[in-house]
Amino acid sequence: MSKSQRSIVVGFAAVCLSASASAQQPGTPAATVVAIPPLATPDSGQKANQSLAIAWQATQMIASDLRTTSELMPLPPSQKDFYSYPEVTAPTFSKWRSAGAKTLVTGFVQSRSDGRLTFGCYVYDVEKGRELARKGFVVAGDEWRRAAHKCSGLAYSAVTGAPGIFDTRIAYVAESGSGDGRSRRIAIMDSDGFDHKYVTGGQAIVLTPRLSPKAARLAYVSFAGGQPGIRLLDLDTGNERPLLAAGGINFAPRFSPDGSRIVFSMMNGTNADIYVASASGGIPQRLTTSPGIDTDPSFSPDGTRIVFESDRSGTPQLYVMSSDGTGQRRLTFGSGWYAAPDWSPDGQWIAYTRRGSDGRRIGVIGSDGTGERTLTTGPGDEGPNWAASSRDIVFQRTDAARRNQIYRISIDGGEPRKLEIPQDGADPDWSGVMD
Amino acid sequence: MLLTAVGLAGSANAQLPGLSRRGPAAPVLQGIDGLRADFVMRSGGDTVYFGTDSAVLGPPARATLAAQAQWLLQHPAVLVRIEGHADASDTRSHALAVGARRAEEVRDYLVLLGVPAAQLGITSWGKERPGAGRAVTVLVR
Repeated sequence: MSKSQRSIVVGFAAVCLSASASAQQPGTPAATVVAIPPLATPDSGQKANQSLAIAWQATQMIASDLRTTSELMPLPPSQKDFYSYPEVTAPTFSKWRSAGAKTLVTGFVQSRSDGRLTFGCYVYDVEKGRELARKGFVVAGDEWRRAAHKCSGLAYSAVTGAPGIFDTRIAYVAESGSGDGRSRRIAIMDSDGFDHKYVTGGQAIVLTPRLSPKAARLAYVSFAGGQPGIRLLDLDTGNERPLLAAGGINFAPRFSPDGSRIVFSMMNGTNADIYVASASGGIPQRLTTSPGIDTDPSFSPDGTRIVFESDRSGTPQLYVMSSDGTGQRRLTFGSGWYAAPDWSPDGQWIAYTRRGSDGRRIGVIGSDGTGERTLTTGPGDEGPNWAASSRDIVFQRTDAARRNQIYRISIDGGEPRKLEIPQDGADPDWSGVMD
Repeated sequence: MLLTAVGLAGSANAQLPGLSRRGPAAPVLQGIDGLRADFVMRSGGDTVYFGTDSAVLGPPARATLAAQAQWLLQHPAVLVRIEGHADASDTRSHALAVGARRAEEVRDYLVLLGVPAAQLGITSWGKERPGAGRAVTVLVR
C-alpha cells in the first residue's frame, strides 16, 4: 500500500473520531469506555524491539477500530501505561476504575521461531475485576493487522454480545469519470480501508458485487457477454465463470448464509422471477412465478427464508417466502416503493431502499413486519447492506451531480459517515467475519 | 469468414504480385453506418419512449415500431439489438428488470408485425446509461 493511501486511511480514522463524538446525542446510551494499555511482549533482545513496535501499532489499531463503533469509546492509548508481560493476565484494575474505564483490553505479541507472530488478547470487566474473554491468534508477520482486528472483535463482542466487524471486507463498484462513459471496476478492501485492490478490469460495466459470507468468493453482474449476467470469481485463485451455462438476462445475486447457493433474478419474457442455483453450478430452480418483477432476493441468516422485492401488487413492495418458494406473503404496506432488501445477520431486521416522490431513503423493518423506520434523509440513497454486527449499514448515496459515494450509518441513528475511498463508489457489500 | 478472406488475398497475391501495390479497396460504405442511417431515416427514429415505470407502448411508439418492422422485413439479413433503459431514480436491480421488460415488449411487438425473432436480440442497460431516459433503442448491428 502506498504512503498516500495510508494517510487517507489515517484521515478516515480521525473523521470517525469526530463523527462518533458528535453522535453522542442526549437519549442515546453512553458508550462503554475501554482502556487499552500497550500490548506487551515476552520476547527479549532484538526480537523484543520488533515485537514491541508491532504491539504498539496493533494497540493503536485496536483503539481506532473501537472508535468507529457507537457502543465503545476507547481511551487514547498511551505508551506511559506500559504493561509487563505478566501483568497482561494479572492486571491492576484500580487505575482504570479511576480513569472511568468499564472495560480493559490487554494483550501480547510474541515472535515465533517460524517467523510468524502469536497474539494473545484478554478482555476484562474493570468494575468486577474479572475476565470476560480471551483468545489467541497466530498470523504471518505481515498480517498483524488482522490479529489486531480479531482483538478488537473480541472486545466488541464481549461488551455488546454482537460479532465484531473489524476483520471483514467491503466490496464495491469503483467509478471514475461521470455519466454514460464512466469506467467501473469492482474493488475490495478491508473494512478499515486498508488492502484496497481492484478485481475486475474496466472494460465491461460491472454491478452489484456480493461477497460470500467469509469473503473468499465474489458474485457480481457483468455486461461482458452483451447482456447482463452473473459471474462468480474465486478471490484466492482468480478463477472466474458465469453462474449459468445458458439463459437470459440474470442479475441481483446473493449468497446463501452457508455460501453453497446463490439466489438471483432472471428474465422470463417480460417477467423477472427469483431463482436459486448451487454456487458450484447446475440447473437453477425457479422460486417465483407471479407476473411482474420479482428481484433483489436476500436469505435470512438461517437460510430458511428469503426476502425479495415484487411489484405484483402494483408497486414494488417487500415479500417473504420459504427458501423453497412456498408461503409467499407481503411484508410492507407503506406508500411509495420498497426495494433492494437485505436481511440482517442477526435475523431481526430487513434494510431496504424506499422510493417516494421526493427521493430514495434507507429504512429498516423488523423481519416480523413491525418497527419500520427511516434511517437516512436521502434524496439519493439506495442499496443498503448490513455489517456482520447487525448494527451498521453501508449504502450508496448519489449526489446532485449524479456522483456516487458510499456511506455508513448506525441503526441507532446519527449522521451517516462517508467511507474514504480512492474514487467514487457504488453498490457496497459488507462481508461476514473472515476465518 | 475472416479466414476465407485472408486466404483469398493470400492466393491472389501469390498469383498476381502487382495487386498488393494497388492500395486499399474502396470501403464497404453500405456497411453498418450506412444501414443504421437508412434505418433511422426510414423508420422515423431508432428510439421509442415510455411513461414512468411503464412498459406499455403508446401510439407514437407503435407507429415508429411499425416503420421499423417494415424496414426489417425489407432487410432480412440485418440483425438488430433491442436495448432497454430505465430511470436513474430507480434502484439498480429493478432498473435492469424494467429495461429488459421494455425491450421484451418492443421485441414482442416487432414479432407481432411479422419480423422473424431470429433478427432480434435484446438486452437491458438498466439505469447504467442515464442519458438514454425511459427508452428502448433498436440498434442495427
